[in-house]
Amino acid sequence: MTVTPAVVEEEEVTAPKKGLSFKFPFAETELGLIAGILAAIITIFTGLPAVIKAVGMLLAFVWGADSVRKTSKYGLGTGVPSIGVLGIGYGVIGALMGLAFARYGSVEGIFYPAVLIGVLFMGGIGLVSGYFSNNEKFIAMKIPRLERAMMELGMAGTLVILLQFSIVTGSLRFDAVVDQVMDTGVIAFMFILSCMGMFHPYNACLGPDERRERTLMLSLEISGLISIILGFAMIVLGTSPFGLWDPIALIVFGVIVWVVFYRRFIKACMKECYATVGTGLIKTIG
Amino acid sequence: MLVVELLFAWMLVIAFLAFIACTFEDLESDVGSQSNPNSQVQLAAQVGQVHRFFNKAISGEPLSNAMYCTVAGTTAWILLQKLEPIVPDAKWKAAVVAIPLGVAVAAMIHIIFSITAHCGRTAGQKRFEQPIYLDVLYGHLLPIATHGFMTTFCITSIAYIQSNLGTLAGDPRLNHPFALPLLAFIWGITVGAIGSSTGDIHYGTEREFQDRPFGEGKRVVYHGKITRYAECGVRTQKDIVGFCAKFGGPCTGLTFGLIILFENYRTLIGMELARFLPVLPADLPFVPDVHFATAAGNMSAVWGIVVGLFIIAALLVGNMVFVRWVRKKYGPFVGA
Repeated sequence: MTVTPAVVEEEEVTAPKKGLSFKFPFAETELGLIAGILAAIITIFTGLPAVIKAVGMLLAFVWGADSVRKTSKYGLGTGVPSIGVLGIGYGVIGALMGLAFARYGSVEGIFYPAVLIGVLFMGGIGLVSGYFSNNEKFIAMKIPRLERAMMELGMAGTLVILLQFSIVTGSLRFDAVVDQVMDTGVIAFMFILSCMGMFHPYNACLGPDERRERTLMLSLEISGLISIILGFAMIVLGTSPFGLWDPIALIVFGVIVWVVFYRRFIKACMKECYATVGTGLIKTIG
Repeated sequence: MLVVELLFAWMLVIAFLAFIACTFEDLESDVGSQSNPNSQVQLAAQVGQVHRFFNKAISGEPLSNAMYCTVAGTTAWILLQKLEPIVPDAKWKAAVVAIPLGVAVAAMIHIIFSITAHCGRTAGQKRFEQPIYLDVLYGHLLPIATHGFMTTFCITSIAYIQSNLGTLAGDPRLNHPFALPLLAFIWGITVGAIGSSTGDIHYGTEREFQDRPFGEGKRVVYHGKITRYAECGVRTQKDIVGFCAKFGGPCTGLTFGLIILFENYRTLIGMELARFLPVLPADLPFVPDVHFATAAGNMSAVWGIVVGLFIIAALLVGNMVFVRWVRKKYGPFVGA
């Protein structure tokens, strides 16, 4: 009599070790400096074409996602989205503050250096809130390097929002932003998608085997998506000084960025996970 | 000419759409294991139970739903800006085209984010030997997108109706002051929050743990067990949707629908009681102004708050009676 063995649910899969597929060249500090300075320069020159502003936005997003990663790496699980939302919340307030100062020393439609006051202010606010949450006398969370991460979060968030205002309105005048971004409701889109660009990378890649390069690729991918939809919004609002080619170039740029980094991300994930198999059953380990 | 009956009718349409929206929102979060159930799915691999669940960790439900709805609302708004001038006499024709197209774009974005979340989380769990099952990845995308489509469609429709409520009822001055994308954002956050708070309770857990005494807390030992077996074969999230569609989803939808119904009801009743409604003040501006306030307008706010307090009191008493009845029927909590 043959005994049918119990259902074999263990399915041993041997995954060949593969090399890491994509290296990000900059360390955290270098990335922060390069992205921050470039994005700030692109922010104040609002006469640039939208594509260049989108490059600045992309850099600011990478920086922001990196600072979310820095903040959340020490064991934040479900709190990751709130850190991203906090960053963009800082960003909206900082951007409004920057806009309030925008007219000082500005050249109409081209050059607005005073908006950086908002960026610096939010850096200060981030530093202070990081200090209060880490200090033993107050909240005492004792997260290493939280002050710096919060400061960078505030600055990156403000740059992201300012660059998006600049893309959509073509300038940084307060009344133009109120008319074309807030009254039309585009600000809701900017807010939520920027939040996604900040926190989704780390939230989606969370786990003990998370890798920085892979995480940041996702942030680039999301900024591509944002560029596409902002391009369409620009067409409708008709705000670009360069005519219709400006938004179309932005859309094409967004599509290229999205396709490249989405493919890279998915390929990297499928290569670097334990195994990618067509199908299989559940099993219990240990 | 403002028709008050039409205002009430549109309010009921909005409440009905809200019911559908939140029902599907809950089911969508069950297909993709978002929010609270996601921690079980995330934990399962870590306690050694390799599973066939979809790990849709886009973010918490409120934010991700706000994202789909805002993308849909923004796209619909972009299309409306272009389409409405083509049909100036019948703008609803533009809406009939714009809203489904906008929601389709949102569904595509939903799929993109779901894939990145699942692949990213699974790759981040390499040391727990959790592989990416391609059939799980592909098989769940369509249910996720379709359930999300229903939610987003209903919410975008609500936002459209609200931002044109006055025009639909006969007086454009009663239109909502917020733009379509902003309303979609607010309702998206709300539908996600209700779906997360009410819907998660009715996730598959109560079926999984039916052999435990009523009211027992779930010990850490049982974590991840939710990903094991269904009535027949290995459990996937499609079983859970089938289960939750019978009670959890409609229950969540009822919660959200009732919230919308009571909220709109108390506002309109307040306006009726203060005699603000049938004939609006002649000098009421098109764009709402903070400095514009009439005695009737102030009284309608007061009456609205009073009616709201009555509704809260009635719900409190009803809940207490109901819980007392349930406790009597099922016995006391154990293990607490």
